[in-house]
Amino acid sequence: MMRTDKILILFSLMCSLFMISCEDEIDVDLDERPNQLVVDAFLTNDSSIQTVRLTTSAPYFLNEPTKGAQGATVKVIGPNISYTFSDQGDGNYNYDPSTNGPIDSTGFTYRLELVYEGNTYSASSLLNPVPTIDTIISVFEEEELGSEAGYYAQFFATDFAGRKDYYWIKAFKNGIDVRPDQPSSLILAEDGAFGGDGADGFVFILPLRAAITNDDEPFAAGDICKVELLSLNEDAFEFLDQVTIQANNGGLFSTPPANIKSNIKDASGNLQEEVLGVFSLSSISTFSTQIKP
Amino acid sequence: MRNLLFLFLLLSFSAYSQEKYTISGYVKSATGGEELIGATVSVPDLATGVSTNVYGYYALTLPAGTYKIRYSYLGYTDVIKEVNLKEDIQLSIELNETVNELETVEITSEGANKNVESVEMSVNKIDSKTIKKIPALLGEADVVKSVLLLPGVSTVGEGSTGFNVRGGGIDQNLVLLDEAPVYNSSHLFGFFSVFNPDAVKNVSLVKGGIAPQYGGRLSSILDIRMKEGNKKEFHGSGGVGVIFSRLSLEGPIKKDKASFLIAGRRSYADVMAKPFLSSDLSGSKFYFYDLTAKVNWSMNEKNRFYLSGYFGRDIFGAGFLFNWGNATTTARWNHIFNDRLFMNLTGYYSDYDYSFGVDGDSEDDFEWSSSVVSYSLKPDFSYYLNNKNTLKFGGQSIYYDFKPAEAKFASDGRTNDISQPEKFAIENGLYIQNEQKVGARIKLLYGLRWSHFSYLGEGEKQVYNDTVPGIRKTLVSSEKYDQYESIASYNNFEPRLSINYSLTEVSSLKASYNRMSQYLHLISNTVASTPVDLWLPTTNNLKPQIADQIAVGYFRNFSNNAFEASAEVFVKDFQNQVDYIDNADIFFNDELEGDLLSGDGRAYGLELFIKKNKGALTGWVSYTLSRSERKVNGINKDDWYPTRFDRLHNLSVVSAYQLNDKWGFSANFVYSTGTPATFPTNRYEIQGIVVPHNYDQSRNNYRIPAYHRLDISATLTPRKNKDRRWQGEWVFSVYNVYSRRNPYSIFFEQDENDPNMTNAIRYSVIGSFVPAVSYNFNF
Repeated sequence: MMRTDKILILFSLMCSLFMISCEDEIDVDLDERPNQLVVDAFLTNDSSIQTVRLTTSAPYFLNEPTKGAQGATVKVIGPNISYTFSDQGDGNYNYDPSTNGPIDSTGFTYRLELVYEGNTYSASSLLNPVPTIDTIISVFEEEELGSEAGYYAQFFATDFAGRKDYYWIKAFKNGIDVRPDQPSSLILAEDGAFGGDGADGFVFILPLRAAITNDDEPFAAGDICKVELLSLNEDAFEFLDQVTIQANNGGLFSTPPANIKSNIKDASGNLQEEVLGVFSLSSISTFSTQIKP
Repeated sequence: MRNLLFLFLLLSFSAYSQEKYTISGYVKSATGGEELIGATVSVPDLATGVSTNVYGYYALTLPAGTYKIRYSYLGYTDVIKEVNLKEDIQLSIELNETVNELETVEITSEGANKNVESVEMSVNKIDSKTIKKIPALLGEADVVKSVLLLPGVSTVGEGSTGFNVRGGGIDQNLVLLDEAPVYNSSHLFGFFSVFNPDAVKNVSLVKGGIAPQYGGRLSSILDIRMKEGNKKEFHGSGGVGVIFSRLSLEGPIKKDKASFLIAGRRSYADVMAKPFLSSDLSGSKFYFYDLTAKVNWSMNEKNRFYLSGYFGRDIFGAGFLFNWGNATTTARWNHIFNDRLFMNLTGYYSDYDYSFGVDGDSEDDFEWSSSVVSYSLKPDFSYYLNNKNTLKFGGQSIYYDFKPAEAKFASDGRTNDISQPEKFAIENGLYIQNEQKVGARIKLLYGLRWSHFSYLGEGEKQVYNDTVPGIRKTLVSSEKYDQYESIASYNNFEPRLSINYSLTEVSSLKASYNRMSQYLHLISNTVASTPVDLWLPTTNNLKPQIADQIAVGYFRNFSNNAFEASAEVFVKDFQNQVDYIDNADIFFNDELEGDLLSGDGRAYGLELFIKKNKGALTGWVSYTLSRSERKVNGINKDDWYPTRFDRLHNLSVVSAYQLNDKWGFSANFVYSTGTPATFPTNRYEIQGIVVPHNYDQSRNNYRIPAYHRLDISATLTPRKNKDRRWQGEWVFSVYNVYSRRNPYSIFFEQDENDPNMTNAIRYSVIGSFVPAVSYNFNF
């Protein structure tokens, strides 16, 4: 079974056999620049509480949670219906689907409308369908280079044929993200593969199927393995893909650091500060199973 | 152009053929029969002379008469021949190596004072003896790492592939191994270069005043010539080091007529690591090797043939197999039409390819390979018009076949071919140049190169819409072209001029101008180039790169040529430099050209160089003060920014000291300004992930700390060597003596334990001193 990080492990093994490459923390003085409004709006079509989080950016080394932005009005406009998100006072704006129902008109382009400090911003997101997860299988494997002994799980689902799809795959072990210490290691797919046009209508390729297991902490018998498959728009996919790259862009083969393109537009057309972040609406399908010995 | 040439020839015959005669031939080493490149053939009475070409050939045209002709080459004893020139004469000479070992350790491979006298400038030459003396990482003498110690050369950092010359990208160096281009000169990403020093005769780096005979790259020519192989007796050499073991064999096939050389290296990290690997990794592979071979045959005085080849690969595997490497073959024919007209005809094949695959089953699998293959024919003529003019002319044709990706994958039993279409191109060049002496003080080299490039079918002409620079362009139309049909073609005239004005016998002023054009582009968006980076042709969207360079220099030798010194300034202007939109998609992208940007570049600098050639202590000091910048619409708010390899100060001190016949010591020290880097100003949180953000959208807005390093080595030659055939030596070396953690890059990341914390991380490729010992032998 292929582990994608094996190349890197082997390379560093090779290097460390003869050389001592190292990473250490250092102090760097960075310029202080103005802060900007940040929109973190990943919504789904299910009936759980939906949250749009508004914050402001901070100096890079602030080293405390970023502050919530309060006093905004947040709405999502659907077909003949508008969902109002209520200010929780901490930067979170919530919508409870038990009031007006879930945001679930597949194929409809929803619009986020946001008024903050007198400026109006908007963004749109098409609610794409998502395939169902057929099953999750698991196999016990002995310890290998870069992977511990334990149960290695794979999920099976098939990409929709004849259309371009983008997905975000989330995996949980007993209700906790399988990689809690690596928040930026997201599993993203373009059709049934990592990228390109070749995997339209395919079963998700092996490295994606297997990515639901953390090689450092595989599953144990009795663990609950839950997988969520979320549909994405192209701009949200690009955004998340860039987050994974920019959040940890070091080493020999790093690319030039770049800002991530937001899909939030200045609706009033005034010359205002650029807004960061993204609005994304996903269909979600879930599969949960207990790992059996 | 051809008519012009004939006119030249006619003129020359009618003007000079009656009263002048030509003496010509080869200058060789008496020890191995090896031709000597750049040996001086002079007539002291007339204060005139020539030097041998890269094949050791010379031709000197003089009025009828009796002359003393002196043949000299550093490290060899002069030979003086008296000739009575009343007809054309062929005279090949063998020179004996100077025997006195200690006092005449010399590290130049040329005639004394040549650096002052010759018209060429911005050129550095190193022979393999010098390369082997420089203390090296893990004791492995390395051609490209030696080049990094020369003025005007920089790199993004340790372990990165290639080198940067006078503000140019790594793809702007034409790296030639016996005239065949090598597309990726690195083993193990960039720690070692692919050239086996045991098989290398000499190395010449041309950074400016590039003669019309060269073309195809903007910034430099790294001309690596392989040894011919001893024509008189059988010899071998080799070594056992920490990384490689090496063996090379050479000898006559037919004495004085034909010889061979074969040299191989293999790394054995995998062999040594085997006992430490767990069972699941016992099948893993990680090694690299190369094989270099050459045969040559002197059929007669007029015809010589050379066949040389290189083959090397890097292999990594463990549940997957990743390998890459170059293969080159060069066939050459030297032909002397008459005493004045020398021809070299080169044909070469060069291939760089890589492949990646997983050990899948038929249900789930992935295979990916890519290659760039070129075939070329290149005739070059030297016409020794008279002792004041040497005319060279010739041409080159190269056919390229690019396979960006041949790939297929399988998922759950279903397979798909995701290959990208092949691309084809042809590149042609024609040139004429004359090296002329005007009066006693002035030497000129002037000429013109015409280059032509055609992007050929079978392929697609893609047309993209215009967008705001920096935003992905989208494909509006594409048109199919048949095989060999030209999809886009370009012409460039490249004028070249160099002047040497001799001030005194030991000093001169030189100036040069050259225009270069380049039709191949290395598509690489990473700080260090990776083995999977793509070489792509110029197309209707991707324009040819062009550079103009002016250089001026002062050259002076001291103390009877024991010291050579030079000071040069250069200014360089670049057009059509490839860059990338933010978040460009480089692999498996059928619309890659929509992600490319094009911009301008500029570089300027001062290079100071002083070299001591003679005595027990030899070496050089090189200092470069320079800037290298790019301006690309869509990056850095359309303003100039420093390149990733821009280093304001760059100092190298290289020294070797021969204490006695037993011990020799070497040390080098390098210092350079830190490279620029892009640092964030702000951060924000998305889904619990801290994202760095640069408010000003600036590129390379900070500098990482300076790079400096000291390396030392000691060579022990046991005294018992003296009278036996087997000669051995031990080399003890320490790289990065004072364990400096030179940062390769500084990057930013979220703390693993506290998600609210962000850290700046210094990444050092080599964070400690690296000792090594190796044993070298020859017999």
